Parts: sequence; structure tokens; C-alpha cells
Amino acid sequence: MRLEVSAAKSSVMHIDLNSCFAIIEQQANRLLRGRPVGVAAYDTPRGFVLAASYEAKALGVKLGVNVRQAREMCPGIVIMTPDPPKYREAHKRFKDVLLVYTDDVTPKSIDEFVVHLENAPLYRQGVSAETIGYQIKNSIYESLGEAVTVNVGIGPNRFLAKLAAGLHKPNGLDAITHKNLRAVYEKLDLLDLPGINTRYKRRLEAFGITAPLQFLDADEEYLRRQVFKSIVGRHWYMRLRGHEPDRREFGRKTIGHQHAISKQTADPVELERVLMKLCEKAGRRLRKNNLYAGGINLWMSFAGNRQLWSITGADAYAGQRTGWHHGEKVGSRLYATHDIYAHAKRLLQSAAVTEPVRLMAVTVFDLHDWDPEQLDLFGAERGYLAARRISDALDAVNNRYGEFVVTPANMMEMRGVVLDRIAFGSIRDMV
Amino acid sequence: MRESLNEPISVIFYYDSSKRHVQPYRLHWQGQDYQLGKVDFWHKTKSGDTLIHHFSMGDTTGTAYFKLALDAATLHWTLEEYMTADQLEVQYQRYEA
Repeated sequence: MRLEVSAAKSSVMHIDLNSCFAIIEQQANRLLRGRPVGVAAYDTPRGFVLAASYEAKALGVKLGVNVRQAREMCPGIVIMTPDPPKYREAHKRFKDVLLVYTDDVTPKSIDEFVVHLENAPLYRQGVSAETIGYQIKNSIYESLGEAVTVNVGIGPNRFLAKLAAGLHKPNGLDAITHKNLRAVYEKLDLLDLPGINTRYKRRLEAFGITAPLQFLDADEEYLRRQVFKSIVGRHWYMRLRGHEPDRREFGRKTIGHQHAISKQTADPVELERVLMKLCEKAGRRLRKNNLYAGGINLWMSFAGNRQLWSITGADAYAGQRTGWHHGEKVGSRLYATHDIYAHAKRLLQSAAVTEPVRLMAVTVFDLHDWDPEQLDLFGAERGYLAARRISDALDAVNNRYGEFVVTPANMMEMRGVVLDRIAFGSIRDMV
Repeated sequence: MRESLNEPISVIFYYDSSKRHVQPYRLHWQGQDYQLGKVDFWHKTKSGDTLIHHFSMGDTTGTAYFKLALDAATLHWTLEEYMTADQLEVQYQRYEA
């Protein structure tokens, strides 16, 4: 049966901070305002730009170019490394503003939120979503400062709200309803749709869908059975016409850390030091959430090659490994850093690294709550509990006196390696 | 994370109870006095149990930027970052890369 375009009131709001990290730097430092600014993972030539101000974007600097390229495109650009505590504070203030209007606020990342207005007092009193949107813009301006602007998008579902937020950057406010839906799609390219990347675009084009309007008009069964060959086709069919397949919250399945190694190396001692710090960071988050893990994954990408996933573990690409990963269940509880590290180190040794490593990631999976503790009368549990108590005591010391005050011996002299970073996407442990 | 310059500085600041606002007013560093303008960004961090307040702001002439830190346990002030309009590069400690 054909699903009509949703005529529901547009009560979903998507709000994102323009060029988040760069604009917060411009807010904090008025000498940077009106100038091209880039925030890069490292301010060395190979460091990647994580955020560019609008002035830098206008000259072609965008996410993912390296510092050398950014300086070539934009010789006057000011490059700086990230200051995560500042961005976390901005995120918190951003959220506090939204909570004044409704408690149905969902952070999607450090710089974007989805707000459902159905139960917002002002909205229920008859104030339009657009009016509330303008009020929120003003409140954010007052809370975060005059240099900070946000895009507001309003729609009947999350997808159209996000699409609306991107129509007039920076500092836009747009609404998409069933009345203007076709007119909006008519002006866009497939890649303008949130969630459509070049791979999806190629797939759609292979099935004769070359524009958003064609995508909208495609039959549900055609999308589900032929184009996407899964329920994903049904979800696209729904979201394109304003129905909601995306209001689902997924539970945490993994905890991990990744590090781009600035001095790429194959030296096992150096790699083990980075590995230990990644394990310590993952372990701290695991314990903070009162979880233990049943499995671990180690992933590496080698220098000189593009990052590629190896499905089989050890991948060969034109005779040269591009990346390596292996994951396994360990048959015991991973909780203490040294347990995580022992398994990660074994995986590292099995990789027999000879190529310089440029990226390394440790992820623990198969997560379980520690409580309620069911004690085993005869053995293994006692060991787990002892390890848990020691880890908790060490964490308590670090909580009180600062991160890495007590560290494993092979992490000595590692200050500044594996820096504080904000992940793209999930921010579960941030606030 | 950027590492602080960690330079000790002398600061005059005041608290306005009507606005519930703290304003660093003047700072002395390397033999020079700077009259400070509006606080453009304020945030807090914790180092273990110790709360640190960070103030990002310019001077009143619009030619310099400072990021100051106040250690709430010791009440010591330090300069974390510095930049001038004629040399547009933020000065902070860089890690070896």
C-alpha cells in the first residue's frame, strides 16, 4: 500500500552549531573573528583539519584536508589544536538552553541536537515551531556569545528536520512540511540528503534514481526488494515522506579508543606504549559505566596506504598490508586495564607488524553490567573481585589527583600521547 | 588538548554581585600591564579534585588575546594562551609531533 506524504505538524527540530570547534575558538578569541581558522588534530603539516570557520570554508578548507593543504588553499589561516573542555562546556550550555523549552532533547553529537516539541509548553500553547526556533537562536546567542550561530531545521520527522537545517547555512532557519516537500527536493542533489553518501548515490543511480524527487516517487517494494535489498529500503521510503523510522535509541555495544600516531612507527615498544594508553582509556570508561567486557578487538592502519578494512584479519593489498584487525571473545571478564592490555598485546604480537602504524584502535565488546554480582563459590569470581577492587582504587586515586597520576610503568613519559579528543558522533561518555 | 603556557601572572579581578559576574580586570605579565576587556568565554575543568576556571578574553585595545586560569584550590593565576593582532598565532605549549 502506498504511504502518503505525512501531513503531520512539523514539530521536530534539528539544531546544529555552525562549524562548531572553529566558531567556539572565534567566540573565545575575538582576534580570530572574521578570519579563516582551522582546528586540526595536530598543527603539524600532516594533521587533519577537524573544523574550519566559514571564512576558511569559503576558500575551500574543509573537514579532512591536512594542515599543509589548508595552508596552501588559505595562506593566512590560523591553525590550532583542539581544546575539548571548551567544546564540552559549549555543548552543555547549548543543551541547557534547549531544556528550557522541553525535556525531550536528544544530543546527536557534540554540536547537534534533536528536539521534539510535541510536549513543549510554548508549542502546546499555540506558539509556532518557527517562533520557538527564533527564540532558541537568541537564547543560544545570549548563552554562548555573539560569534556563535546555529542552524535550525523543522520538519515532521528527524530526517526532514536535519535536511531543513542544512538549507541555508550558516545561521538559517527553515521548515519542511508536506506543502513544500516536493519544491525542496526539486532543488537538491542526492548527496544533499542526510545519510546519502557517494556509495549510496552510486547504488541509487544504478537503479535509475538520479534525483531526490525520483527517490521520493520510487515504490516502497522497489526500494526494499531491489535497491537496498533490506528493511533499509522501507526506512528510506518512510523518512523521505516525513514518517519516522529513526526514533530509536540503540544501547551501547562497544567501548573503544582510536589514536592517530604522529610519529608512525613499527617499533614494538612504542606500539605497546600506545596500546597501553588506549587500553587504559577504554578501561576507565568501562569501569566508569560499571561494565565488563567479554571480547576485544585490535585494529591498525599502516602508513603509506589508504585506510582499508580487512575482513579476514590479515589483508593483502597489492602485496602490501593496508590494515589489520582481529577481534575475539576472551572467555573471561575484561575490567582491569592490565587484563585488557594483556589480551590486546597478544593480538598485537599476532599481527607481526613490520610496517609503520599510523592508526591504532582498541575496542572492547560483549558488554555486561557488573550488578547484580552473582558470586561463584569456588573460584574465578574471587579473582575478578580482587582485580576489580584494585582497579576501582586506582581509578579513585586518578579521580582525586588527576588523570594518569597512577599509570602502568610502560606509560611513563607518555604525557601528551593519545590526547583528549571528542569523537564524531556518539558522545555518551562526554556529559 | 592544548597544553597551557603555565606562566604565573598577577591579576586584579572583581566580583559584581548585582550581575553575579566575575571579571578579570587587569593583568601583569613580563613587565607589562594589560587592561582586560569582556570575558568572551568561561569554562571549568577539573584536575583530580581541583577545580580550574578558564577565562578567554582580549585586552581593551583589541590587540591581544589571553586565556587565563584560576586554580580554585590555591587561587593562583596562570597564563595559558596568548596571541597578538600583529602575529596571528596562538601561543600555547605544543606536544612533540
